[in-house]
Amino acid sequence: MLSFNSPIKEEKKYNDLKIVEIEPTIKINLRSNKREFSTKIGKILSILPPNEANTSSGNENYNFLWLSPDEWLVYSNNINHTLDNQIELENNLFNEISKLNQGAVTNVSDNWVMINLKGSKTFDLLSKSCPFNFKDFKNKKGSVVQTVLNHVDVILHNKDENDLNLFVRRSFSQDLWLWINDSARFL
Amino acid sequence: MFIINCPYCGERDQTEFSCGGEAHIERPKQPTELSDDQWAEYLFMRKNIKGVQFERWNHAHGCRKWFNMVRDTSNDKIQAVYKMGEKPPVK
Repeated sequence: MLSFNSPIKEEKKYNDLKIVEIEPTIKINLRSNKREFSTKIGKILSILPPNEANTSSGNENYNFLWLSPDEWLVYSNNINHTLDNQIELENNLFNEISKLNQGAVTNVSDNWVMINLKGSKTFDLLSKSCPFNFKDFKNKKGSVVQTVLNHVDVILHNKDENDLNLFVRRSFSQDLWLWINDSARFL
Repeated sequence: MFIINCPYCGERDQTEFSCGGEAHIERPKQPTELSDDQWAEYLFMRKNIKGVQFERWNHAHGCRKWFNMVRDTSNDKIQAVYKMGEKPPVK
C-alpha cells in the first residue's frame, strides 16, 4: 500500500447516502498541448486522454479526467497499489513525457483526497451549496466537472448513477467532510 | 449573479470566474522610450465605461483558462465570449 496518512479515516451512512473516503489511490496530473502526447499516454496507460470537455475515459486500472484543454488528472481504481507501482508509473510517464519535453507530469497523490458519495440523495446534498447545474451531469456516466462546493474547489467524477467521486485538496478536506456530514443530516 | 459561457467548459455560474479587467491593451513595444506619464497611462488607466466593454475573464474555479468577453456593464448582458488570441466577434 502507498504510505498515505488519511486526513479523514471515516465512513458515514445517512438515509439513501453513503459517504466514504477512498484512499490511498495514485493520482497524477498531466499537462501537455503536444500532438504526440495522446499516443504516448495510450502506450503507457492503455487509455487515450479525453479531448471533449467535461468528460473522462478509463479502464479497469485507471480513470482519466479532463480538467482543461491541456490538463488531465489520472487516478487509479485500485487502493492496493504499492509505492513501487506508483514510482514505476510516475517514472514511466516522466521519462516518456517530461524528459522529452512533451508535457508535465506531477504526482498529486497526496494533494487530492478522494471521497465517494453514493445514494439517491447525492445530488440533493451537492445542490445545497454548489452553483453548478447537475441536470445533464447526473445522466451522463463518466462526466467530470470542476466547481466549488461550500466555497471549496472540488473535482466531481460521475462514475455511475448516483455514485460519484469527489476530489478535494487535502488542506480543505476535513472542513468539507464536516460540512458534508452536517448537510447530510438534514436531507 | 449571471451565467457565463466558458469557451472551454460551457455554461457556469459567475461565482466560478474572476474578472481580469479591460482587454486588448497592447504592451508598448519600447517601454524604455516612454515618459512616466505614458507608462502610467498604459499601466493604470482603464476606461471603466458604462456600456459595452471588452474584458478579460478567468475561469478560476474551473479550467483556469483566460478568455475575453464583451459585456454591457450597465445590465450585465454578455454579447460575446471568445478565446485569447481571437479577434472580437463584435465591434
